[in-house]
Amino acid sequence: MADTVALKVSGLDVHYKDFQALWDVSIEVNAGQVVSIIGANGAGKSTLLNTTSGLSTPTKGTIEFLGDRIDGQPPHETVARGVSLVPEGRRVFPRLTVYENLFIGSYTPKSRPKREQILGTIYELFPVLKERRNQMSDTLSGGEQQMLAIGRALMSEPKLILCDEISLGLAPVIIAGIYKRLRQINEDGITIVLVEQDITRSLKAANYAYILLEGKVVLEGEPSVMTEEQVKKAYFGI
Amino acid sequence: MGELIYRSRWYFLGLLVLVLATAPMWGSDYVVLFCLLFCLYLALSQMWNLLIGYSGLLSLGQQAFIGFSGYTVAVVTNYYGVYIWVSVLIGGVLSGLLALFMSLFIFRMRGVYFGIGTWIFAEALLLWFGQWEYVKYATGLFIQPRHPPSITALYYGALVIGVGAVVLVYGILRSKIGLGLMAMRDDEIVSNTMGVEVFRSKLFCFLIAALVTGLTAGVLYTYQVFIQPYKAFAIDWTVKLVFIVVIGGIGTIEGPIVGAFIYVLLSQWLAEYISVSLLILGAIAIAVILVAPKGIMGTIQERLGFEILSPRRR
Amino acid sequence: MQDILQPVLNGILLGGLYAVIAIGLSTMFGIVRLVNLAHGDLLILGSFLSLVLASSVGLSPYWTILGVVPVMYFVGFFVQGFLLNRVLGKGMEPPLLVAFGLSIILQNLLLLIFTPDARSLMTRITLMTIQVTKSLNIPVVYLLDFLAGLAVILCLYYFFQKTYLGRAIRAASDDEGAAQLMGINTKNIYAKAMGIAMMTAGIAGLLVGTTFTFYPHTGPQYLIIAFGVIVIGGFGSMKGCFVGGFILAVAQLLGAHFLGPGYQLLSGYVVLLVVLALRPQGIFGTV
Repeated sequence: MADTVALKVSGLDVHYKDFQALWDVSIEVNAGQVVSIIGANGAGKSTLLNTTSGLSTPTKGTIEFLGDRIDGQPPHETVARGVSLVPEGRRVFPRLTVYENLFIGSYTPKSRPKREQILGTIYELFPVLKERRNQMSDTLSGGEQQMLAIGRALMSEPKLILCDEISLGLAPVIIAGIYKRLRQINEDGITIVLVEQDITRSLKAANYAYILLEGKVVLEGEPSVMTEEQVKKAYFGI
Repeated sequence: MGELIYRSRWYFLGLLVLVLATAPMWGSDYVVLFCLLFCLYLALSQMWNLLIGYSGLLSLGQQAFIGFSGYTVAVVTNYYGVYIWVSVLIGGVLSGLLALFMSLFIFRMRGVYFGIGTWIFAEALLLWFGQWEYVKYATGLFIQPRHPPSITALYYGALVIGVGAVVLVYGILRSKIGLGLMAMRDDEIVSNTMGVEVFRSKLFCFLIAALVTGLTAGVLYTYQVFIQPYKAFAIDWTVKLVFIVVIGGIGTIEGPIVGAFIYVLLSQWLAEYISVSLLILGAIAIAVILVAPKGIMGTIQERLGFEILSPRRR
Repeated sequence: MQDILQPVLNGILLGGLYAVIAIGLSTMFGIVRLVNLAHGDLLILGSFLSLVLASSVGLSPYWTILGVVPVMYFVGFFVQGFLLNRVLGKGMEPPLLVAFGLSIILQNLLLLIFTPDARSLMTRITLMTIQVTKSLNIPVVYLLDFLAGLAVILCLYYFFQKTYLGRAIRAASDDEGAAQLMGINTKNIYAKAMGIAMMTAGIAGLLVGTTFTFYPHTGPQYLIIAFGVIVIGGFGSMKGCFVGGFILAVAQLLGAHFLGPGYQLLSGYVVLLVVLALRPQGIFGTV
């Protein structure tokens, strides 16, 4: 079976006014894989994901999803193509209930007719969301909000989901639970890009990894062949 | 080229003031009138710009001070026989006091609350004066000083106020108050930590603006001789100020100078089309905001990279 | 003491009209954080639209709702889509100034087209009253306004709570970026929201026209009423609109009752300013 390239980022430069956040970044994600992008704070990981989703526009380079260019597109078009972002900080809609948050996740025309069906799968994946479905989303705990954010991103039936620091601020046991669900999601055929500061866990979960330092890719490869030494050097830039 | 303009800017300005100061000597009646109106609108718009361009205060109710001062001058001159220039002064002071009173109600708010608050005050004053027997209801008053000032005297009064307004704004912005205001304008986070300081500075600007607006209105109505509430307290005044400052360039000191000139020029032409004049002013103002939001001087400043009347310390 | 029952009753009914006058303004503020300074003039535009339709078709003004509502939707959509969206996020002043400019343009356009004459859409209903007791009666037109206002606001509530578009609008006002990640074209949504707000303004304009006389320059008066309702009741709250409406209307009518009809508007302004000074976030204020 030939590997299809789900996401291809080539030579990406991203600027915030005069500040350059990404320098000639190139990344490839094959369909069905879990790819990790690691780096310290400020390395450019979120920028990469935000630009892929369309929240930012690159100054140079291209982003292709399943062969079509998506760089520079507004976010709502990227979502319609099947790319979902679970944003940093979760960003659930505080004045909507859990149910409404999930509901609005199926806004795209494709997913609307299947809403109840998809909702059923999400409730199976995250039973606590079903329990709390009529609660305001800002009354949920951190872990529950994270599950909500992931569930919401899945409502649009994406082929690729981008997860921005989903373990931030959560207790290890909760994180373990979430990662278990991610494995399930991946087994159902959804490609996952994981952005994390937590090296160990995300490397364990991934088929392939990239390490960013100050906006550049400094190391890439299969986690199983990376030594701790290499990773540390790349991460901290020593 | 830019450097040349920058170095010689004081000469240009000095020349301008000289031309204005000697206008009654070399200019026709029409020219003097033009310059008089220019000076008055210059003062009004400098004050409005001080509020919105530097203090973050959108005032939609300057007409409250214009009408209030105008009526003060009328009442004090007619009913108490006060010398006209003293009346004008009193008009200015009372406008400042009105501003102080207004601030009790609207100064806790920012942005649009503040703006609408000022507008409401103006509307309330309109209604009040329109029904007040003391000022002859909506029929209006003729201002009849015992010793009516000559056009030349009025002109110099206007000139002093007009030039004075520019100097005043420049002075305020170069002072500690101005520094604080501009820091706040450029960086909101800074402004939050400055708290009381900023509040006092804004209030100060609001009071000063009311005072100068009052003085200007005093001279204006002395010149126009007649005042009635539906014109004096009308939103039309704000429309003109918006036009002048937006075209000239919000948040620049030179902006209102250019804008006031364009306005007085335009208004001569628009006088023939009274019904559409406000419409045209409004339409132009919107177009400028959409297309060139920095106005004439703002855009020029961006291109040349400096400010002619720069309040910034180098 | 019996005396004030009539103004209070009238005030409560009128409050319903005031609520629907304000709901469009309140909704848009909750969504784009913009107080549309042209709201009152757009409302009066609705009144004039109704006037034109009623006189050209020759039916009772209430039927014009069928024409006014769709037209106002498009007016709102275009105003937001082509004017206000352009200046959103560019600072505080540009959106306010553009809305202000729009207000002036509308007033003067209406003045040009319709002359400064007083207009009204009053019908036989305007004069009808229901006698409750010897000294108390209910003006039917006020009752109608109240019920219509209630109906509009309930529909709006249902819309925002249950539909995709309504929830999308709420999501976008919570977090614009996150809403975009849901596939929501937020700029387009804002335009649609404005369209809906203008539909309510159109209905309010129709009701206003059947209840009071209006002129091309009456707009700002209703902007101030709408603003007053929201200041007293609190931005972003539907029940706040009703409470604010009641309080403002009762204050106005009591002012007129004790001081004379010329003081009606003024009483309202005074109450508004006092609330601004003491509790600017209003009774149910969430913002």
